[in-house]
Amino acid sequence: MKINGEIWIVAEQVKGNLKEVSYELLGKAKELAVKDGFPVTAVVMGSGIGALPADLIAHGADKVILIDAPRLLLYQNDIYALVLENLIRKYSPGIVLFSASYSCSELSATVGAKLRTGVAAHSIDLYYNEQGELVQVVPAFGGRVLGEIFCPLTRPIIASIKPGVFKKQAKDTARQGEIIEEPAAGLEHYQSPLKAVTVVQEHLSGVPLEDAEIVLAGGWGVGSAEVWQLLEKLAQSLHGAVGCTRPALDEGWAKGEHELIGVSGKTIRPKVYIGFGISGATHHVVGIKDSGVVINVNNDPNSPVFQISDYGVAADVKELLPKLLEKIEEAK
Amino acid sequence: MLKFSEQQEQLRKVVRDFVEKEIATIASKIDQEDTCPVELLRMTAQLGYNGVFVPECYQGVGLGYTERAIILEEIARHSAGFALALMTHHLGVYAILTWGNEEQKQKYLPKLCSGSIAGLAVTEPGGGSDFAGMKSTGELVDGYWVLNGRKCFITNSHCADINIVVVRTGEDEKGRPRMSVFVIDENTPGCKPGRKEKKTGLKGSDMGDVILDNVKVPASNLIGKPGDGAKIGLGTISEVGRSGMAAIGLGILRACLEDSVKFAKERIIYGRPLAKLTNIQFIIAQNRTDYEAGRLLTYNAVGIKDAGLPCVPEISIAKYFTTEAAINTAKRTIDLMGGYGVICDYPVDRYLRDAVASIPSGGTSYVMQIIIAGSALS
Amino acid sequence: MNIAVCVKPVPDPKFYDKITINPETKLLERNKIPMAINPSDKNAIEAAMRLKELLGAKVILISMAPPEAKEVLKEGLAMGIDEAYLLSDRAFAGADTYATAKTLAAGLNKIGLFDLILTGSESVDGGTSHVPSQLGEMMGMPHLNHVMAVETEGDILKIKTKIENGYMLYEGLPPMVLGVSKEINTPRYVSLMGVVKAQGKPFTVWGLNDLQLNADDVGLAGSLTQPGSLRTPPIDRKVEMLDGDIEEKAEKILKILYAAGVLN
Repeated sequence: MKINGEIWIVAEQVKGNLKEVSYELLGKAKELAVKDGFPVTAVVMGSGIGALPADLIAHGADKVILIDAPRLLLYQNDIYALVLENLIRKYSPGIVLFSASYSCSELSATVGAKLRTGVAAHSIDLYYNEQGELVQVVPAFGGRVLGEIFCPLTRPIIASIKPGVFKKQAKDTARQGEIIEEPAAGLEHYQSPLKAVTVVQEHLSGVPLEDAEIVLAGGWGVGSAEVWQLLEKLAQSLHGAVGCTRPALDEGWAKGEHELIGVSGKTIRPKVYIGFGISGATHHVVGIKDSGVVINVNNDPNSPVFQISDYGVAADVKELLPKLLEKIEEAK
Repeated sequence: MLKFSEQQEQLRKVVRDFVEKEIATIASKIDQEDTCPVELLRMTAQLGYNGVFVPECYQGVGLGYTERAIILEEIARHSAGFALALMTHHLGVYAILTWGNEEQKQKYLPKLCSGSIAGLAVTEPGGGSDFAGMKSTGELVDGYWVLNGRKCFITNSHCADINIVVVRTGEDEKGRPRMSVFVIDENTPGCKPGRKEKKTGLKGSDMGDVILDNVKVPASNLIGKPGDGAKIGLGTISEVGRSGMAAIGLGILRACLEDSVKFAKERIIYGRPLAKLTNIQFIIAQNRTDYEAGRLLTYNAVGIKDAGLPCVPEISIAKYFTTEAAINTAKRTIDLMGGYGVICDYPVDRYLRDAVASIPSGGTSYVMQIIIAGSALS
Repeated sequence: MNIAVCVKPVPDPKFYDKITINPETKLLERNKIPMAINPSDKNAIEAAMRLKELLGAKVILISMAPPEAKEVLKEGLAMGIDEAYLLSDRAFAGADTYATAKTLAAGLNKIGLFDLILTGSESVDGGTSHVPSQLGEMMGMPHLNHVMAVETEGDILKIKTKIENGYMLYEGLPPMVLGVSKEINTPRYVSLMGVVKAQGKPFTVWGLNDLQLNADDVGLAGSLTQPGSLRTPPIDRKVEMLDGDIEEKAEKILKILYAAGVLN
């Protein structure tokens, strides 16, 4: 069954600010729209978010459906899903793209179940094949395998997309687009069985991992919190960001999940990536494969991590890090 | 064909999960620091490892010596040193379980299953397998036994809560020494660890002296009858000690096999993995064959023990074979790895040291050969 | 309290770097990889066990899997679960998350009523994290995914869910379907006594005919998504090893940073 309907993206906003991934979704939707000729529509939901449609249009949306209602102030899965279900039933889009953040991937699965349509998760690529079918490429087995997913029979096709995978379009404030305001249909008589009590989100300092030109990533081989401090220092002096693998996060060395790179973390494409004490496990490596220059430091000269590196350094991380710091301070 | 029951397979899997998470990650640290990780022994107690062959009525798991060998193999795969600490604890447990009276079993076994650590002190500076040459004494004074002497090369010397000791309590009518076994409760005055030895391998299980300085124990702490010492000491070591050492040797064999395979596949030389070279394949074949042979011998021997049949020759064969094979296999694995074999970032030098140290534990290969030959020639 | 834990046996993630695709058949070569309980499903089992110990509960485990999965599921019984149900039928093969959720829902409805249905937030093999939400919709129960903590206060469940750089707190009444993430707890190690006791616990196997479902509701036929071909991502690079002493190695790295324009 061919795609017959608009491409929608569900924009992700937190406290009235659009998340980068919303623009990335628009970028991909535009690319698909060139092929099928349908307009790209962004759906944005929340409360007091009247300024967002213009921003979405500037990033490539042809149409924006705005649902601005007090009950949408906080994301809550059942409420958002009900509103989206009604909206999708009304407009019958062909494709709906979501961010693969925790909340939006949950939302995509819930909406898919309500509409009884197929959902592809954490897609890293989307394209039309020669038969005109939408191919959704998803990682499996911790990124070791990429699989194609098709949704042959039901519409819309729903996919959630990993942040950082697609490129956004340049912002163009001169772009024109249509803004449609819709009510939060379905909520009039809906009493949620759940009560959202609070949202707690910490503000992060430093260069965001996904924007940094140089990323220093540490793995289990870093060995201790003290050596990790050196890694942080080096990142600071290079104006770069620190990333980590799951074991380094579990050890409590890395600051939090926002530093995690790979299948269950971020996808990055810095100019230079330097890995310290990283084993080369696929679930980390898939998150860095589009980086410019990849350097890895590992004390095991036979480490498989060197197979995915442009430059390999067989050295003890705790000896090399201070040396690097010293050299970079000298160079300044 | 050696076939484990579903329950035994499941047991191996859950033990492996535990070992990979809690022991493999600190195995090299255990080796370097050479102190018994006592907290780990308390954890294994909670999981049932410390009382695996003790019946449920004494708060054990009620399984047998095959299951114990599985546990020791899995632990020794990553830390033979720690496996030795657990294996030695089992000796104390076994002595009480097999020769203790009901009251003693009720008193000690639940503790030993749930975290108290046991030690078995037999060897003295005069020798280990020479029971008759033993000099430590026990004298009955006012209804109490007073123990004196020095035991050496005692595993768990510095971490055991409950010590089981063999001492001389007189002579029989023919003038031969009469040996007896006593259990010494926690914190009994006069019983203390002495010098701690630095071993070649099997580090991470304490080994040293146990000093008995006028240790006063009630008559109810005598295990068995006066004069049962040789029977209890030898019976424990020859069946449970040596089968434990066989399982530990087996663990080292598996470590060598797995690490040699991994290295041969990963190491690229002249553009090809090492594993493509015929001489490397020979090493892998020898390592595999030694492991498989050790596995059959060990589980066959403990299977006989579980069946309640005489098993001393089979256990001696298994101990002799696996520990000697572990040395050869570790040496071959080091050869295979070239320079990497002797740098401490790889554990294979530890495997060799552990294998070497496992020879005297529970009786040297010469003692094993004497037993094996004796059985064959009888 | 009645608690159900939905569990998926997966190829043991320890071995994922060994997974390859056969260049001719284009099929996954994973036959040598042993099966294990999906990691976050273990967290779900642990969460259920803690609620059981705190409040008293009957806890059952349910899984849709091939018959060989029985041994893997016994590990859940060894962790303390009371009974296990394995939904196994050739017709279930090839199910996507939708058909899986539908089959699980049919099994759960046949077993009885539950106050809580717990499952891992995502499987480590497919990794969609869809089942908790889809199952919630099919059971007609409120549902939350990526749950980091569950507490009870009287009848009320207080649930903390994970969001980027933070969390949300919800309150609600049972019944509920919760997908728990690894932060919620550390699953206990299985004790040997657990292994022994697991052997005698009830273990029921149901096929398609036991559930109120048709063959085209389940498996590949009942799936809304269909898998296409598989490939391994091209990630290899040609490495140049930097040699010399530590001083020289550091200098060589610096040169690379200059050349890449990240150091001026």
